[in-house]
Amino acid sequence: MSARTGQTSTVAAKPSRHARSRGTLSVLILHAVRLRIRSIVIWGIALGLLALVTIASFPAMEEQGQQLNDLVESYPPEMREAFGIGEGTDLTTVEGFMASQVFNFMAPLALAFFPILASSAAIAGAEERGTMDVLLGNPLPRWQLVAGNFAATAISLLGVLTILGLFTWFPAALLEIEELSVRETAEAVLNLLPLCLFFGGLAMLCSALFHRRVLATAIPGAILVAMYFVNALGNTVEELEDAQPLSAFHYYGSAIENGIDWADFAGVTAVALALVLLAALAFRRRDIYT
Amino acid sequence: MSVAIETEGLTKRYGRKAPGIEDVNLIVAPGEVFGFLGPNGAGKTTTIRTLLGFLRPTEGKARVFGLDIRRESVEIRARVGNLPGEFALEDRMTGEGLLKFFARLRGVKDLVYAHELSERLGAELHRPMRRLSRGNKQKIGLVQAMFHRPPLLILDEPTGGLDPLVQEEFLDIVEETKAEGRTVFFSSHVLSEVERVCDRVGIIRDGQLVTVEPTHALVDKAFRHVRLTFDEPVDREPFEKLRGVEDLRVEGPRVFLTLHEAPDEMVKLAAKHRLVSLEYERPTLEEVFLTYYGANGGHS
Repeated sequence: MSARTGQTSTVAAKPSRHARSRGTLSVLILHAVRLRIRSIVIWGIALGLLALVTIASFPAMEEQGQQLNDLVESYPPEMREAFGIGEGTDLTTVEGFMASQVFNFMAPLALAFFPILASSAAIAGAEERGTMDVLLGNPLPRWQLVAGNFAATAISLLGVLTILGLFTWFPAALLEIEELSVRETAEAVLNLLPLCLFFGGLAMLCSALFHRRVLATAIPGAILVAMYFVNALGNTVEELEDAQPLSAFHYYGSAIENGIDWADFAGVTAVALALVLLAALAFRRRDIYT
Repeated sequence: MSVAIETEGLTKRYGRKAPGIEDVNLIVAPGEVFGFLGPNGAGKTTTIRTLLGFLRPTEGKARVFGLDIRRESVEIRARVGNLPGEFALEDRMTGEGLLKFFARLRGVKDLVYAHELSERLGAELHRPMRRLSRGNKQKIGLVQAMFHRPPLLILDEPTGGLDPLVQEEFLDIVEETKAEGRTVFFSSHVLSEVERVCDRVGIIRDGQLVTVEPTHALVDKAFRHVRLTFDEPVDREPFEKLRGVEDLRVEGPRVFLTLHEAPDEMVKLAAKHRLVSLEYERPTLEEVFLTYYGANGGHS
């Protein structure tokens, strides 16, 4: 049936599979980080400006600190919790003020969308855009697309957190707010990492399962908001108390005030990695859509 | 040396909505240029994407250079250069950036051949993809498929969006690739290019491989267009009675017909008159192709 020409094909000598695997993974990670540099800077500066404005307003707030505490105390507890002002948060200290205004409310809620968007774009987004077939035409195992993109997201997050940390600490130093140390700032920003990775892992799993970017963004986004409120309101609404351990925010704490709880840090990071593993398994066997 | 591509009962079903491919049996030899013909939706892209491991086959087996498409897809893709039928390139990247990235993934040390190909095809490597026309993206798609000199090129509609001069250049490159002993498998619905460069063609219709033949054999065994001119008007009836005659038209001394049988009977009949001229014309591959896709669904 076949018309053989008798010519031989030229199969070039290839390096071992493992050597090439390591090589392609690092190339993939570097490439993905490079593509995200602009987002890293934009996200870092946007959140950094929030931190900067908050810290700059602290000296003025400090003078009326007790009145502010009294005002907040008069709020319904559900409302206080929903806005990230937990029981015992003292708004007259810079740590308490920054926790309530940035690190326990806006920063985790907003920054979690960075890995959600990155993970949903990595697989489902690439299929929708039509870039997946060209990329996978290369000798890349599918698990590397999942792992490499997730590693790139983690590195990108560290970049965003570094910018946020600098925008928090430098204004504090300039305004001579000495209570906010480098260590406290570093712990405050680093504590965001496991939480963000968790939602990034969840989005990666949805991206691997559903091959539609809207689902890979909306599902983790909805779970993010639900988990935030379950945890925040669980302190005051009895019915939600039992559900609190199911929320990733339950393990987030307030590192700027109390330091990082390393057990929780490691636990949430491990769950994030487990989600990525599940994503790799889900993506391994399914059809690539165009 | 193992065959370049071998499929046995390869089947991919998507469910009720979209037809896939059914029981495709195919062998492509090393060093061969194989044309895979069929209209849009016939199953060309499904076959290619299944061979590359993008789609999981429902049934059947396939091997590329002896490597199993299910278990050894990465090893296969190390030996294949692929141009997808429908594809996009990262908007913010330039062609140069993309080629450097792919070169690193493949362990290719230099881009000398990539630059040579780009120059020949007129690919713009220094503008971001979002500023490139479809044809220019197609050129970069072709370069990324070929720059690492893979033993097998799998190209899905490679000339789509290219202007005629670039198409010619591309076909020259295919011929050079063949001369180097490498294998090319490309799908197309442009028959002239297939006829020019392919050793063999496979025709796929509704997900089934209808025929696989050497290109010249497919054309040789097909019908012929015949034009006879005599020195005086001739009677229509004897020509009507010839076996395998279609589209007969008699205009005085001129007779036009399409002949599906060997010409022996027709020549003997014509010889009874004084013949002024005889034209016996091969159909184009396009016309052959249409017999498989005729209004009545063609024949197989």
